[in-house]
Amino acid sequence: MKENELNSDQNPGQGGDALDARLRERLLLSRAVPGDRLMLADAILLAALDGSRVLTPNERTALEQSPLTLRRFRHLALERRSMQQAASEAANDPVWAGSTGMLRAASSTTALAQLVTDDNCWTLHFLPEGEGWQVILTLSADAPYAARLLREQPLLRVVDGGGAIVLQGRLDADGECERAWPFSTVPAAHFQLYGASFAVEPVAP
Amino acid sequence: MRLPGTRYQEHGWEQVRKLLGQCSLQTFRQIDLLQVLDPAQHMPLLDDYTDAVAAHLRAAEKSARAEAAGNSYGDSVHELAMSLLFELRAQPSFWQGFVAVLAADHARSGTFWLDAGADGMLRKKINDMYASLRDKVDADNYIVATGRDCSPNKIYTYRMLDTAYREIAGLFAAWQQHLPQVGAILGREVGALPIEVRQMKAIGGCKAEWIIRWSETLEQFSGAPGPLHTRSKRFASLKNSPDKIGAMLSEIGDYEELSSNMDRGDDWLGDAGEAALWMEDYWRVIGESEQRGAQPGVADQILPPPEEEGVEYPLDGTNDQGDDAADPVAAPAEPPRSAEHLAEEQAVAAALSLPPNYLQVARAAQDAGSWTLRVLGSESLPIRLAVYHKLLGPADDSYPDAWLDPATGELPTLQQLAALDQISMPTMRKRRNEAIDKLYAANGMRPARAAS
Repeated sequence: MKENELNSDQNPGQGGDALDARLRERLLLSRAVPGDRLMLADAILLAALDGSRVLTPNERTALEQSPLTLRRFRHLALERRSMQQAASEAANDPVWAGSTGMLRAASSTTALAQLVTDDNCWTLHFLPEGEGWQVILTLSADAPYAARLLREQPLLRVVDGGGAIVLQGRLDADGECERAWPFSTVPAAHFQLYGASFAVEPVAP
Repeated sequence: MRLPGTRYQEHGWEQVRKLLGQCSLQTFRQIDLLQVLDPAQHMPLLDDYTDAVAAHLRAAEKSARAEAAGNSYGDSVHELAMSLLFELRAQPSFWQGFVAVLAADHARSGTFWLDAGADGMLRKKINDMYASLRDKVDADNYIVATGRDCSPNKIYTYRMLDTAYREIAGLFAAWQQHLPQVGAILGREVGALPIEVRQMKAIGGCKAEWIIRWSETLEQFSGAPGPLHTRSKRFASLKNSPDKIGAMLSEIGDYEELSSNMDRGDDWLGDAGEAALWMEDYWRVIGESEQRGAQPGVADQILPPPEEEGVEYPLDGTNDQGDDAADPVAAPAEPPRSAEHLAEEQAVAAALSLPPNYLQVARAAQDAGSWTLRVLGSESLPIRLAVYHKLLGPADDSYPDAWLDPATGELPTLQQLAALDQISMPTMRKRRNEAIDKLYAANGMRPARAAS
């Protein structure tokens, strides 16, 4: 095929190329070939796709002349592309090793409603509940590592400045994890007692 | 029944069959069936038939039957009927078979299709054509989805087993009314609720022995022999192969479980973007092979033909193209058009209720660097549009807007295109088909029989 000659600069855009591809696909796949059957095994097609084994001339002819084998080739090629894409997306997702934050103001007088990490990706919400408090860890959907964490659902923990565990668990599908506040002191007073800082970190398995 | 890749094997099939039957009968009232006697007319007749059925299908698109679900992948009855009609064009041997049956009947009883009450007979033959076509299409779909071999016969066998399972499930559900038969299936006396009845929740839980014993004893309970025990040899070998039955039952069961939350099957008519993606891989693989040429020491690894003999399909001898395909050459520049010519075009377009400058705008929307235009450069624009119309259908995401009739959002009809080109319909069809042959040749494809 003289395919490369077609990459002309005058093409008005992707539209024409897509239409060409579509028509040529239809020409390849919808031919009547009596007695057509699968001519090449998956292993041969996959090796040709990844370049590890080039088709012999007879195999090439077999592929070209069998719409059914071409359709299997199409299936494998698209599957391979979508796997590659998923793998590269996963590889490009930034890795997260933990985030830290500070208790901003001396807020001993007003009740503490929330704390945010320095990277703005995590928020701790505090809600009064009966006698005590609930604490909710929320991952921002904009966090660069959000997709990876939501997919992998690692065990997470929040620790205070003294290293005590405030919350431990996995994110739900909304990127949240809710637990009861484990200390007897109210949240604002507690963080002031323990270094006015906190950290969200993955728990090593 | 669901299997990987298949689309025509679920309950909706009944409605697909009926819809195609209904539209086919309407079509046969419009076309002269005597043409079946002339083999030279068989392929033009297929063109007429598919065009007319497609129009009837479109007219019936909003009917309750057409809108119903055709399978659990979200295809409607209308969509499945349309795609099967498209498959008929791609597999013309089924049409040839149908036409041969009509011709044979004509030899015996004349123009029987004109008799009162002939609809039933015609409908039966139409059903037969589509029923065998759907199994062929689904067998191919299965191969494409799994890489494992399949045949229309094997699809038929899967379906027979699926039906047998459903029969057995029905008997199990009403076991109290069918004590002796349930006992015969289980191979033991049944008193209280049999544990097997509670355990069999899906086809994967159905034992091969039950199927065999159900078939073996069916005559005794219902008067008709079971499918494994008829005189026909079709499933005769299967009744001695419980392992084979078991494997097929669990394959259906596994896939049904896997696919129960899947929204769509593999659709090879798929979306526009995919074509460019895999074709890029295709040209690369072909190019690498061409560049490497013969590889000493590398043995060909071409699969041997499968052992199972498929249903015989009549050979179709109409698509020979020969080997002397012309090399595609650069498209000649569009000849300049005179003002007089343009005025004439506008008058024709307006008479067809198209925008007066339709041809001008549509011509400008062609991609000058396009492969198709290079191959079909000597054809008129209406012929080229008719080629797209035939190969990709009246509507496709990749068409430029300027090609579409604003009234329908689709390409102009074949009649409109013929009128735009100021030629008759038969001439339009003939030129269109010649253009399609040119494309096949230029795309580097020859019929399989040309291979050594």
